[in-house]
Amino acid sequence: MGQNRYRRQTLVKELGQKGQKLLASKHIVLIGGGGLGSNSANILVRMGIGSIDIIDYDTIDLTNLHRTSVFSEKDIGRRKASVLKERLQLVNADVQIKAINRKVTSKNIESLVDTSDILIDGTDNIPLRLLLNKIALKHNIPWVYAGVHETVGMVMAIMPKKTACFHCITPNIPVQKTQEIPVLGSLPATIAAIQCNEAMKVLLGKRPAGLIIYDVWNQCFDVLNIKRNSYCPLCGKK
Amino acid sequence: MKIMVKVFGRYKDITGKDAIQLDIKDGNTLQDIVNAFVKQYPNVEKDKSRMMVTKNKMFASSDTIVTKKDEITLSPPVVSGG
Repeated sequence: MGQNRYRRQTLVKELGQKGQKLLASKHIVLIGGGGLGSNSANILVRMGIGSIDIIDYDTIDLTNLHRTSVFSEKDIGRRKASVLKERLQLVNADVQIKAINRKVTSKNIESLVDTSDILIDGTDNIPLRLLLNKIALKHNIPWVYAGVHETVGMVMAIMPKKTACFHCITPNIPVQKTQEIPVLGSLPATIAAIQCNEAMKVLLGKRPAGLIIYDVWNQCFDVLNIKRNSYCPLCGKK
Repeated sequence: MKIMVKVFGRYKDITGKDAIQLDIKDGNTLQDIVNAFVKQYPNVEKDKSRMMVTKNKMFASSDTIVTKKDEITLSPPVVSGG
């Protein structure tokens, strides 16, 4: 089954058989299995990543269904990570998928991510992303930030000591609000696809774009090239 | 003096442009740029404290002095939903 599965993908010269083999040797840790994470997991498993750990402690509820992939009404109340593993394993049995039904904290994050070739951000808050950024820099693991709000999505691949880090782009940390974040249902799938594109580029050794800003409502697709901030307290050189 | 400021994301839609011209004085800072932008386009007021501002492709503190030779960009705040 494995040989024909990726035939159309390996015809892409940027990937080829060599790139496909490389992908099959890579391990991804995905934190968060909601709007972004479920879509990213779906894409990465179908594209043939070697193995993926999906981490999410939360359960599926009705309000998730407008922006997630894979889940259905009958999954309400079940663990997101477990359902993603169950369904995506049916899509691609060659991928090693592990469901980790745990909350990521400062105490356990290192043990959860330290074997990863790249981290995929499916989280929904800035403090967790800052923690992820700190640990990724410490262990020299690239990661791909993605976020959505209303009709705007952003993506940035962060390569420790090579690109700007997440702290560089969030000098003013937004106050965490408790209310629900509004999200257009079609947006997470779009942004997750861009996130996976950036992850593929990093895994295949191509330098990623900068901060990608996509506003689906206003037809704005921008890439903001950002240099590392020399004075960044986390990744700066000074 | 006048300075050209590149805008990104929905700021392009709000301003109708890729770059806007703002008046600054000697010794003005990035915060003054943000203030001038908000004054000219009041509907970006809610972003004021979290706007992403770069000088010469790098984020810098709001008290950084700006000259007309600098490349300044303004972008909407980082989004955090998932």
